[in-house]
Amino acid sequence: MGDYRKLWESLQMDLEKHDALCAVLPELYDSVYLSQEDRADAMNYFNFVISEVHGLRIEELNNHRQKGGKVVGTFCVYVPDEILNALGVIGVGLCGGSQFWIEDGEKVLPRNLCPLIKAFVGAKISATCPYFQSCDLLVGETTCDGKKKAYEILAEYTPTYVMELPQMKREKDIKDWEEEIKRFIKEIENLTGKKLTYENLKNSIKLINRKRRALKRLYELRKNTPSPISGLDALLVSQIAFYDDIERFTENVEKLCDELEKKVSTLKPNNKKRLMVTGTPMAIPNWKLHHITENLNAQIVVEETCTGTRYFENEVSEEGETIDDLIRNIAQRYMKINCACFTPNEGRVEDIIRLAQEYKVDGVIYYNLSFCQPYSVEYKKVERALKDKNIPLLLIETDYSTEDVGQIKTRIEAFLEMI
Amino acid sequence: MKNYILFPSYNEGLKLASLLKEEGISYTIAPTPRQLSTCCGMSIIYKDEDEDRIKKIVEDNKIGVIGFYTI
Ligand code: SF4
Ligand code: SF4
Repeated sequence: MGDYRKLWESLQMDLEKHDALCAVLPELYDSVYLSQEDRADAMNYFNFVISEVHGLRIEELNNHRQKGGKVVGTFCVYVPDEILNALGVIGVGLCGGSQFWIEDGEKVLPRNLCPLIKAFVGAKISATCPYFQSCDLLVGETTCDGKKKAYEILAEYTPTYVMELPQMKREKDIKDWEEEIKRFIKEIENLTGKKLTYENLKNSIKLINRKRRALKRLYELRKNTPSPISGLDALLVSQIAFYDDIERFTENVEKLCDELEKKVSTLKPNNKKRLMVTGTPMAIPNWKLHHITENLNAQIVVEETCTGTRYFENEVSEEGETIDDLIRNIAQRYMKINCACFTPNEGRVEDIIRLAQEYKVDGVIYYNLSFCQPYSVEYKKVERALKDKNIPLLLIETDYSTEDVGQIKTRIEAFLEMI
Repeated sequence: MKNYILFPSYNEGLKLASLLKEEGISYTIAPTPRQLSTCCGMSIIYKDEDEDRIKKIVEDNKIGVIGFYTI
């Protein structure tokens, strides 16, 4: 319960407003997370990270910067962590998941925009997010139009670099992405005054592959019926992956998996429906859909989202004699992420069907943040494909407010009865 | 009703957490409730029946705590 006020002050934060944000977390976390029954003891580490979300980790970022290190904020799983880490940079995912920031975001953005974008812009302009305040550079990317244009606004507040992400996945596009990663390396080399080496990059690839593998192991355990971990807890682990210390995080995910592995054999069958969530990302503290769903007779066993399988599936190949080989490996791995910002995006439909079978789900919830065009347009394709396979599907379009909680609950309840 | 232990810093909290683990006493790390403090950070939730044992561990190991609370 350290006193972090001085630290926050040094980050030019709006302390009064920030205090209002801090005030909501303990109760929210208590009612959503701590009220769950039969949680793994190893979840205590993740409870700790959340409890210290604006404390310990911010102190670590601060210490890193005091020693001359840099901190870079990102908004998309396409921005390669391997490069940042290899150049001694701490990367933090900055997507905003709180309703708290929406009002400030709407001061400079249209109201009919995805809440994720409104929240991260609101977090910056209100100076209430210590992660934003700790960043030496923000790195955006040309994915959806809303984000692309929002970076122009962020750039008025803080140094911002934008990576040009291809919109298609032809050979040419993968080459373009490789070139774009090289440009990104130059930018980060300039920021840090360091030079990327083969050794550093290779070690960084190995480290981040280990992290992905740990998450994969966690997800594999969820294939058991019943899953030894709630969807809520698994989501939390995925969300924390975006900003926690990589080695400490990986170690704690492994510990959690060790415990869950033992737990599997002691679990008795329950009649809960197994569900997949597919769609748009869920940033901390967006636990809304999981919370509603798991309070009903259901368990979420897999998320085909960027705060789920898209984050850890596929490793970067560690083979290669030169630094260019490694960069190519990175480009190839990232271009396998199936995001609706690409056209066509057949890979995502295939992923959903494959995951539905692997995780033996009874149904799929298509989670669409309000006003997210790429995902809502893609819905039709997914709907048709799942219909062909007789996999039940429910579309939930929502934002971060609590107004529609009752209505969503009723719809999911009806869905569960039907499947 | 829940019981909380508050700490002057997370280092003390983590020290106690690992001792409780060694002793096989179950506990939950949680964000400090606002009714108890306006500083954010970790606290530890424990069960009534373990209070005496925990207090002894805190004393024996000179763990810095702000206090034990029930709300
Ligand atoms: S959904 Fe697309 S744009 Fe959003 S984080 Fe994922 S890959 Fe990036
Ligand atoms: S959820 Fe959709 S609209 Fe929102 S940032 Fe991601 S791609 Fe863009």
